[in-house]
Amino acid sequence: MAATNWLETRVRIVGGSLLAGVAIGALGLLVGGVRYDSQTVTTQLFAVGALVFGFGLLGWSGSVLLGRSIETVHRHLDRESDWTEASSRRAMARVAGFGGGIMGAVTVVGLLFGP
Amino acid sequence: MASKWFVIKRLLLLIPVLIGISTVVFAILHLGGNDPAAVMAGQGASQEQIETIRSELGFDDPIWVQYTRFLSDVSQFDFGESYVLKPGQPVWGSILADKLPVTIELAIYGQLFGVMLGVPLGVLSAIKQNSLTDHITRIGALAGISVPIFWSGPLLIILFANILGVLPASSRIDTQYFIEGPWAFFGHELPLTGLMTIDTLLLGNIDAFVSAVEHLLLPAAVMGIYSMALISRMMRSSMLEVVRQDYIRTARAKGQGQKITMLKHGLKNAFIPVITVIGIQFGTMLGGAVLTETVFGISGLGVILVNAIQAGDYPVVQAAVLVFAMLFTLVNLTVDITYSYLDPRIQQ
Amino acid sequence: MSTQTQQRRRRRGIRGFIHRLRHSRFLSNLAANRLAMIGLLIITLMVVIALYARIFIGGVGPIEGYYGEIMGSNLSGNADMAKAPPSPKYPFGLDGQARSIFPRVLFGSWLALKWGTVTVAVSTVLGVSFGVIAAYYSDLVDNVVMRTMDVLLAFPSLLLALALVSILGSGLQNAVVALILVYTPRFARVVRGAALAVLEDEYIDATIAIGAKDFRVLARHVVPNCLAPVTVQSTLNFGLAIIDLAALSFLGFGAKEGAPSWGMMLSAGVENGLHSAWWWPFFPGLALALTVLGFNLLGDGMRDALDPRMRDAID
Repeated sequence: MAATNWLETRVRIVGGSLLAGVAIGALGLLVGGVRYDSQTVTTQLFAVGALVFGFGLLGWSGSVLLGRSIETVHRHLDRESDWTEASSRRAMARVAGFGGGIMGAVTVVGLLFGP
Repeated sequence: MASKWFVIKRLLLLIPVLIGISTVVFAILHLGGNDPAAVMAGQGASQEQIETIRSELGFDDPIWVQYTRFLSDVSQFDFGESYVLKPGQPVWGSILADKLPVTIELAIYGQLFGVMLGVPLGVLSAIKQNSLTDHITRIGALAGISVPIFWSGPLLIILFANILGVLPASSRIDTQYFIEGPWAFFGHELPLTGLMTIDTLLLGNIDAFVSAVEHLLLPAAVMGIYSMALISRMMRSSMLEVVRQDYIRTARAKGQGQKITMLKHGLKNAFIPVITVIGIQFGTMLGGAVLTETVFGISGLGVILVNAIQAGDYPVVQAAVLVFAMLFTLVNLTVDITYSYLDPRIQQ
Repeated sequence: MSTQTQQRRRRRGIRGFIHRLRHSRFLSNLAANRLAMIGLLIITLMVVIALYARIFIGGVGPIEGYYGEIMGSNLSGNADMAKAPPSPKYPFGLDGQARSIFPRVLFGSWLALKWGTVTVAVSTVLGVSFGVIAAYYSDLVDNVVMRTMDVLLAFPSLLLALALVSILGSGLQNAVVALILVYTPRFARVVRGAALAVLEDEYIDATIAIGAKDFRVLARHVVPNCLAPVTVQSTLNFGLAIIDLAALSFLGFGAKEGAPSWGMMLSAGVENGLHSAWWWPFFPGLALALTVLGFNLLGDGMRDALDPRMRDAID
């Protein structure tokens, strides 16, 4: 029971943004394909997706790694303290999902219609 | 107390960090129309030569193929070959491997400088809260962060090397010393660490050790100023918080002198949160290393990174960024694990 | 709160503005802070120098007259004058190309303040947009936007700028763009904190209840109330932006070779004159450090003068 819940939350968080990424990726291919050659469009779009995905993954692991340190420092230096590890992790999972969606869309479309 | 599972879970974090940073540096290479093949072919190369290099390097493969290939290479610690700085040579073995300890040593001594000055200053500020000393410390920290490394470095060189002539201006050790491995340990031959101050001791050369320390003093001071400012603020706040807690009051009620009480009971507990700053601050430290190495003519990771960006030597840029990120992660892992052993309140 | 709000509504236009300035607790707190006033003095001095340099050294057409003299090498005429020490005629000495360092340092203040202003202004505008949007459309958008900003903030600014420069390519304009991206999150965070504090006030709820459109609420009520903390953050970051820009030039990614920017002069001075002409790197660096100290002193004083509720988000 607990395990399904655990999985469900995570699938919901990442899944939504993943689908959004796929949609944006497909849209980008359509729009970009009008003006540039397919090689440029797939490379650039995939690179943008990779940047977002990598950033999200880095942010996710960074939040877990540094969470406690950052919370301690904020407490002592009187900075805005609504930063929490949990919210940061969740947001970064969404960002990573979005980037992954773009990468996935480009790959699938490329494999289907590519040379 | 930290359990074994806690440590293992933390170590597993290295995997997503590595994948994340590899993906980012992969994206950097391909974004914005960089053409690595053209860079590698050099100026005046024909279109045909560029095309040959492109297919040799696999840059005409679909990008997702390149991406998976890049990830699998990186996971085997293979960063490819340099384009420009040392064409055809492996990036890790012949460029970065020797530079890594140089930067690590610089960062360690810089951080040591920051801690050794920042902690006493913070304690002083806390004991004499809102006094003149407190204000002077605060203004000093403000002035300290106003001075850019690439000015304070030259200033110190002018003062200590040119005018007073007591400290060397650049490089890591006097040219008369050759620090070469291996060193003998009960009949076993072991490789050197690459850290000058340790290698000289391992080889038993005290004069060389002194020379290495002398060469480190100025760069470490320059790099340590920033973390000194932050550490002293953190120490002050942490000290004040500890003092407010009960056991200090109890100790004071027993009749011990106020300052002795603060030092005896407060110091250890106040220092624990400061450790976290050391980890977070390490990133800024690495950024500072880029400037410090340039000013003091020390050839470490920072100088390599700058040279590689200027030359468009992408594999070196990628590898240097990766190494920086891994260094930062490892330091923070260590800090985090140390912290959980030291702080009795944390139960994992 | 309510009387204060009414007063704020009643007085509009120039007279209302002057009235608010004269009765501002922020300004009177600030004026009482001696260090902040020293900072203000330094900044004023630098602005005057910068304008003087732009008009009298830069001239109308930047190639003519004196400007050519600070740009071009004088080695062909007087090679023996290269690296001449400071003298009454050349107060800061001469550099390796036998150019007088004094007017170059003066002109450097124009470049530093100009590009510093561009960097801070653009990142302020971007940051205000992100921050207000994040605060207004809370939950998911807020969370994703702000946590992204936080992660960006965790990177050391110089390393992040270097990474961006390696994507964009070097050159002064690309360096400025890179720094704008690096500095935007700092403003977004402050603005979001301040905007949330404003949105919690009752009168915003009342405005929404009356039926004001989203944009109107943001532009009329939220943005004006974020101005004080944003000004503080801009001041504090102005100094840092100037340092980072000079650092990029110092490393060879910003101003062009030979340009009279402080970072470039320092780089040339450290490389070629550290042991033979101390004045070459010394004076550009002094000007840089002094300017940055001015902004840090003023910004620090401004932060102390700020409403504590707004202060938390600024670091």
